[in-house]
Amino acid sequence: MRWDAPAIPLVERPPDAVLFRRPSGPVTAAAFLADAHALAARLVPARHVLNLCHDRYAFAVAFAAALLRGQVSLLASDRAGPGGAGLYPETAYPDTAAVIDAEAEAPRGLASVRVAPTGREAGGEAGRPAAAGPTPLLRSDQPAAIVFTSGSTGVPVAHRKSWGAIATRSMAAGACFGFAQANPASIVGTVPPQHMYGLETTVLLPWHAAVSSWCGPAFFPADVQAALDAVPAPRVLVTTPLQMAALLQAGVGGRHDVISATAPLDAALAAAAEAAWGGAVCEIFGATEAGSIAHRRTLADAAWRPYPGLSVTASDGGASVAAPHAASVDLADLIEPAPDGGFRLLGRRADIIKRGGRRASLEGLNRILAAVEGVADGAFVVPEDLDRRSTARLTAVVVAPGRSAAAILAELRGRIDPVFLPRRVVHVEALPRNTLGKLPRAALLALLDAAG
Amino acid sequence: MSKTNNLAAADVAEPMNAMAVPDRQSPQGQSPDGQSGNGQSAAERALAELIVAALQLEVPADAIVPDAPLFGKGLGLDSIDALEMALAISRTYGFELRSDDERNHQIFASLRSLAAHIEANRTR
Repeated sequence: MRWDAPAIPLVERPPDAVLFRRPSGPVTAAAFLADAHALAARLVPARHVLNLCHDRYAFAVAFAAALLRGQVSLLASDRAGPGGAGLYPETAYPDTAAVIDAEAEAPRGLASVRVAPTGREAGGEAGRPAAAGPTPLLRSDQPAAIVFTSGSTGVPVAHRKSWGAIATRSMAAGACFGFAQANPASIVGTVPPQHMYGLETTVLLPWHAAVSSWCGPAFFPADVQAALDAVPAPRVLVTTPLQMAALLQAGVGGRHDVISATAPLDAALAAAAEAAWGGAVCEIFGATEAGSIAHRRTLADAAWRPYPGLSVTASDGGASVAAPHAASVDLADLIEPAPDGGFRLLGRRADIIKRGGRRASLEGLNRILAAVEGVADGAFVVPEDLDRRSTARLTAVVVAPGRSAAAILAELRGRIDPVFLPRRVVHVEALPRNTLGKLPRAALLALLDAAG
Repeated sequence: MSKTNNLAAADVAEPMNAMAVPDRQSPQGQSPDGQSGNGQSAAERALAELIVAALQLEVPADAIVPDAPLFGKGLGLDSIDALEMALAISRTYGFELRSDDERNHQIFASLRSLAAHIEANRTR
């Protein structure tokens, strides 16, 4: 830690500002801080806190409580095997306790604390008002979170976040999207809090920007409609292209802006959303390693504008982003500089595939497939529209005379991120490798066609 | 939120679990004589056909075992599938799924439980 690291308040909103909206009612900054302090007092004193809360408010309280205690939150999406196995590399984080909420199960082998029902640690909806003490200041270099993504070998990869790195980004987002103190916006987020996009935009944003975040159900179109109806205008739907398409199909109505991330947003879908909902449709470009990086209004801006303080540069065969409070990070995307200091996205590095906001190396997946016992050779076939079509899935093509599709799938489970599990495993006699051992995509597709 | 939060993941979230691959050599539930021995009721069969069509599954509708889990290790659906299913169910049966239903885990447990929920709530 640097002794001169600047401090950033945990929350920088007026005490009576509404930060979160639960189905049971709004939660002010003062009440949120009271809940966070109350939970902090009873957290298990471990170095790391595995935050497994599903409820967005319980998650936020637990995340703030860990920060107040100087504990580092471990964020892994909900893809646990039995007893929470496989969420994070457990042996690398022996000093870990878990925080769970009402419906979550405690992972095996970890001490855990259950957040009070509805997250109201400090006495419930009619709880005592918080003492109007000074807002806690946290050093910007305080380790805040470790976010796990699936690695190319099946072992989750850790991405470390300092308080400064995540706080400055959510503060910047407030400025980028023009949230005004005079007229605070209501965010309804469909993305989970454990994902970087959900964390920044639906959990942390209200701590510093003039927004509140909805903490009730927001998954099915009917949930989202009810949430949009329940919160005051101006409203902002924070979602993904796939979910947006589903909401439009379901005829969800109302007037609201949209923020979309995790995959490129099709211009036609953006146009349909602006027409249906009468608001601006904006996108965030980001990566787990770096958080939110740039934004644009899909229909108006060809180029992306980096968040204040960030610089995005094209480098040989790739791109990188440099941020305050964090090391420069290589991106999985290819960019070209645009005249106004922005950039255009040219696509992803050839090896990188994405689905459901998760990213993987195709080469890594192929290695894992080839390592399955009884698989002599194998490769995944990836649809071009994997990140845009909800029914798109990988297909595994294998040379594995002695092993059934079900047996191969069972072995892949737990080794690769479930979003990349194949929906079909197709047996073939040989893969169409060329003389260099490479698999031309066209030849693979032809083989798959022939296999029916 | 609730039991449904496993569902609430949406597409940036983790799927509820994993996706299964139909094993073409031995479709689930198929009896040795090749007949569908799954004992699907007419309503279950209709729902199975809707699910297979909406999700573009490779598995034949009559091979879906009524009591097997839809998500995770059974049929292997994930949260993106849950969203697609909600759209198809709303179009076909005229009612909306909600994730604040306390019984959502039960409702989505299997073809049989989902079919029963639909029969109880359908408007067409």
